[in-house]
Amino acid sequence: MYLVADISVEICAAKSCKLCTQYCPEANTIQYSEEMGKDKGFKYGSAYVAVDRCKGCAQCVWVCDNMAKNNAIKMIMIDQLPLAAITDNITYGDKSTTAVLVSPSV
Amino acid sequence: MSLDYVKFTNGFEKFMPKEYRDMVEHGPFGKKISVSQMGSFKEILEEHPMCAGCAMTLFIRLAMIAVPNPEDTIMVGTAGCGRLAISQAAIPFVYGNYGDQNGVASGLSRGLRLRFGDKPKDVVVMAGDGGTADIGFQQVLHSWFRKERFTTIMLDNEVYGNTGGQESGMTSRGAVLKMAPLGKKFEKMDMLQMAKVAGCAYVATVVPNNPRRVESVIKKAVLIAREVGSAYIQAYTSCNIEYAIPTDKVMEDAKNVENDRYQFTEYVSEEAKQYLAERYGYKEFLPKPAAPAGAIPNKA
Repeated sequence: MYLVADISVEICAAKSCKLCTQYCPEANTIQYSEEMGKDKGFKYGSAYVAVDRCKGCAQCVWVCDNMAKNNAIKMIMIDQLPLAAITDNITYGDKSTTAVLVSPSV
Repeated sequence: MSLDYVKFTNGFEKFMPKEYRDMVEHGPFGKKISVSQMGSFKEILEEHPMCAGCAMTLFIRLAMIAVPNPEDTIMVGTAGCGRLAISQAAIPFVYGNYGDQNGVASGLSRGLRLRFGDKPKDVVVMAGDGGTADIGFQQVLHSWFRKERFTTIMLDNEVYGNTGGQESGMTSRGAVLKMAPLGKKFEKMDMLQMAKVAGCAYVATVVPNNPRRVESVIKKAVLIAREVGSAYIQAYTSCNIEYAIPTDKVMEDAKNVENDRYQFTEYVSEEAKQYLAERYGYKEFLPKPAAPAGAIPNKA
């Protein structure tokens, strides 16, 4: 088992600062989706993590807690994630991406 | 190679490699992107074997997004951690022998100018502090004295991180490392001053805890290196393994080091200022409007 970052859509879609997408050292790992928060009635979209690329450094957690002060990201064990974004299931649009969430392969 | 130079016959696009089509359809090839759009497009950098939480990777990721024409850019590197990520990207990467990256880049940049003439082809050297300030020092300095037109970026992690933690010329005085247990006895080399003395048109220091600044600095450097002269960027990219920084504190360390010894500095030569203002419309470098006649104090 290993830790991956998990972003709370409820908190993220309320602020949508996008800072974590800019501070992750891995490419295309923290992605941004315009639709993800809107289906729950939030104003903005939300960031989400492609868990198969996440190395678990928790840099995004520090950025979210201390720079953005949103506390939306937590590190959790991959088998505790109910649904996860996998790189193969992410498609790119004009201004955001769309992810089909699946059960994470542990 | 970009779509501007090579046009595919209609119907044959699908025979191009998927990676290349991804770059054109969902990536930065042929369009302008910025760090504020990160997370919504296919990046040039791919998965790489760098350590978790490495600030150098973050800088490389930002640099790949910041280069003005990624489809017309060639990266040159040398031994060191950085090459593990730089080579996993959709930008061609030339791997020199240890220390000869600026020599390789000099020939490459001259050759590309002969072959492609007025079409800009950018050469960007990205090497560690060992490759730039220690082992490649002679070639780096000579390429600056010759005013070779390419960008040199030093990924300064202040240690030989790949080989177990020996001190480098860029290590700060007193730093205790695994292979330097008594602490370094000499001062950190002042490469910025040397770059200015050697005649670089653009010299800047940057820390990756400010992505927008990294983007603007690299854009300016690459544009200046197209026509005016050498550009040098010194980036603090901590080694969280050798300096034992917890991965979630890497940005906190970057902030502390920025306040301590890595304040943002930028030197732009007069010629480069004029070039950026006239050619690319950089407002901050436009000549100040002359004071109105009435404001001049009367000497009589």
